[in-house]
Amino acid sequence: MKLEVKNLTKSFGEKEVLHGISFNVEGGKALGLLGRNGAGKTTTIRIIMDVFHANSGEVILDGMKFNPKEHLIGYLPEERGLYPKKKVSEQLIYLGRLRGLSKAEAKKNTDKWLKRLQVSQYTDAKLETLSKGNQQKVQLASTLVCEPEIVILDEPFSGLDPVNSKILQDVVTGLIEEGRIVIFSSHQMSYVEEFCEDIAIINNGEIALSGNLADIKAEYGKNQLIISAVGMDAEELSEKLKTMCADTLSVTGTHKDGVIVKNIHELSRNELIKAVMNADIEISSFDSYRPSLNDIFVKAVGGDR
Amino acid sequence: MKKFGVIFQYEIMNYIKNKSFMISTIVIAVLAAVILFLPSIFDMSGILGTNKDDTDDTSSDNAAITDVIAIYDEKDIFAETGIVEGVFTDVKIENVSSRDALVKKVEDDENVIAGFVVKNATEFEYVVNNSDMYDDMSARFTSAMQLLGQYNYCKEHNLDLAEIENAFNPVISSETTVLGKDMMSNYWYCYALIIIVFMVIILYGVMVATSVTQEKSNRTIELLVTSADTNSLFFGKVLAGTSAALIQVGIIFAVVLGSYKINRVSWGGIFDKILNIPADVLVTFAFFGLGGLLFYEFIYGAMGALVSKTEDINKSAGSVQFVIMIVYFIGIFQLNNIDGVLMKVLSFLPISSYSAMFARVALGSVSFVEIAVSYVILIASIIAVGILGSKIYRMGTLRYGNPITLRNAFKNLKHE
Repeated sequence: MKLEVKNLTKSFGEKEVLHGISFNVEGGKALGLLGRNGAGKTTTIRIIMDVFHANSGEVILDGMKFNPKEHLIGYLPEERGLYPKKKVSEQLIYLGRLRGLSKAEAKKNTDKWLKRLQVSQYTDAKLETLSKGNQQKVQLASTLVCEPEIVILDEPFSGLDPVNSKILQDVVTGLIEEGRIVIFSSHQMSYVEEFCEDIAIINNGEIALSGNLADIKAEYGKNQLIISAVGMDAEELSEKLKTMCADTLSVTGTHKDGVIVKNIHELSRNELIKAVMNADIEISSFDSYRPSLNDIFVKAVGGDR
Repeated sequence: MKKFGVIFQYEIMNYIKNKSFMISTIVIAVLAAVILFLPSIFDMSGILGTNKDDTDDTSSDNAAITDVIAIYDEKDIFAETGIVEGVFTDVKIENVSSRDALVKKVEDDENVIAGFVVKNATEFEYVVNNSDMYDDMSARFTSAMQLLGQYNYCKEHNLDLAEIENAFNPVISSETTVLGKDMMSNYWYCYALIIIVFMVIILYGVMVATSVTQEKSNRTIELLVTSADTNSLFFGKVLAGTSAALIQVGIIFAVVLGSYKINRVSWGGIFDKILNIPADVLVTFAFFGLGGLLFYEFIYGAMGALVSKTEDINKSAGSVQFVIMIVYFIGIFQLNNIDGVLMKVLSFLPISSYSAMFARVALGSVSFVEIAVSYVILIASIIAVGILGSKIYRMGTLRYGNPITLRNAFKNLKHE
């Protein structure tokens, strides 16, 4: 299965909020959809789910125009919503049946997902009587009750404590291993790094960066090193490198673990170490720089986080 | 269609499982049945003014009479004439010796309902504690005084009062054959049914609007519109609300009309004007009432989609409520002019035909073609507001915050 989002544009009134969003995601892989608040992630997801109509562009599944109502989709919207005064099982069965399951299947799947998410003790409780975290897990169960081919999770970890986050991590890992398409929107980069093979960063309604996360990391870390020194913090080291080693290294940033530098003339590591030592710097650590997704994100959207 | 069935089933079960729906239906139906069966269980002929045995035992009637009128006849002009007793057959007559004694009796004795001080053959004073709206005692005593005058005149001139009475007021017998509608007997149930359909439209209309708005306020709407098409969602919701209304009103109607039919003889037919409704009128009421209910429920559903907080429903549904009220009042006030131009016009408009055409069928002259045309207009309008309402529902999805005005809603629909 392959879902392709091609050149989506969307305007609200006179204002265009998406200016041609494109990305692909395949079965058995997860795509991390990233972006600052108001970048256009949720609007993109809502267009995929046919809540909004795009002004132009298309969504294709395996070469055919994608209609979410013809497929089993598990959708966890950004704005969570269930019936607070209804019993948990009652509403999950209803939502399962709305997505095309028989009553028996919906009931079976309801029991399965409530158990898997460790909230089966609340099957007959009214939703409003549950804690926020448990309501969030019920919401996730409602997303998965139809055993979806495509799972779209908009900020799934918000409101979950570390224990519940771990349960959800296991569930998402399971979904990916089962070959389903997973689109994952989150501000929590650590989760995206953990699950997503591919990412698409949206900035001001445009794709700022997209592709395989490992490739992106390699590209962003190419020819860069991270250095730390004994008795110097990152700022002091950065200043010293700028003044003493400007002909061999260029400082590109600081990090809690040290200073990130670019190897200007692609010298060997020994030559670089020698140049640093000649500047009277006692090296504490010297390694290739592997940028975190957070670093890549900040660079891509050009702002502070 | 399958999803429509799922939505309809879920929504109607929401109504049926609702405790207040269940309790109000059962309590009203049981209470009505108990009240209507009372005369068959207990002897209530005294209260109802009916006599089960239908016998003419005057001695026992006299024994049952407890009301008394006191009379102070200053000049004894009624003495031994029996006129007062003849006019006031439903009360006992007690003569007193002074005005003061009469006033005291009226004030203190709870059986003495009134008193008359007869000053001369043409003048009397009526004494009563509280005079109610329908008090006819004074008029009846005036008749007694006039009869006394005639009696005395005949006596003085040696004439036969009975003979003169027969000559001047011969007994006339008559029979009425109503070829069209009998407004006298149809008026009250027509009035009652218009009130009932008005109440059901408002009550269930607000329930449907609330149910739509709640799904926006609790944000379930996004899950729903991504799981089923909006036509199924909107039609399922509105038709479930309408069906719940039919179930509740149907049960109460069946119990009330059935119980009355069983106990009609015991009630002496006193509620015939409201509860003995001819079948053709009931069928017309059912068709037009259901049509009117559906028409307005779709509008209420659309109004519910324009707001995202239940407390804002009145802002969007207020104008609909206003139209329903106007139609109701015009309908009620025009019942006496059922074949007038206004009622004829209203009977073809979908906003008012549910009550106006039904009233014309019950009370006026209306051809089958007129009924059919009116019903076709109503059905077409229901389909139109259903489709329009569904589009407004779709447009209102995810538009949270301030209520959307109807004008903006149409503008957005045009834009989309």
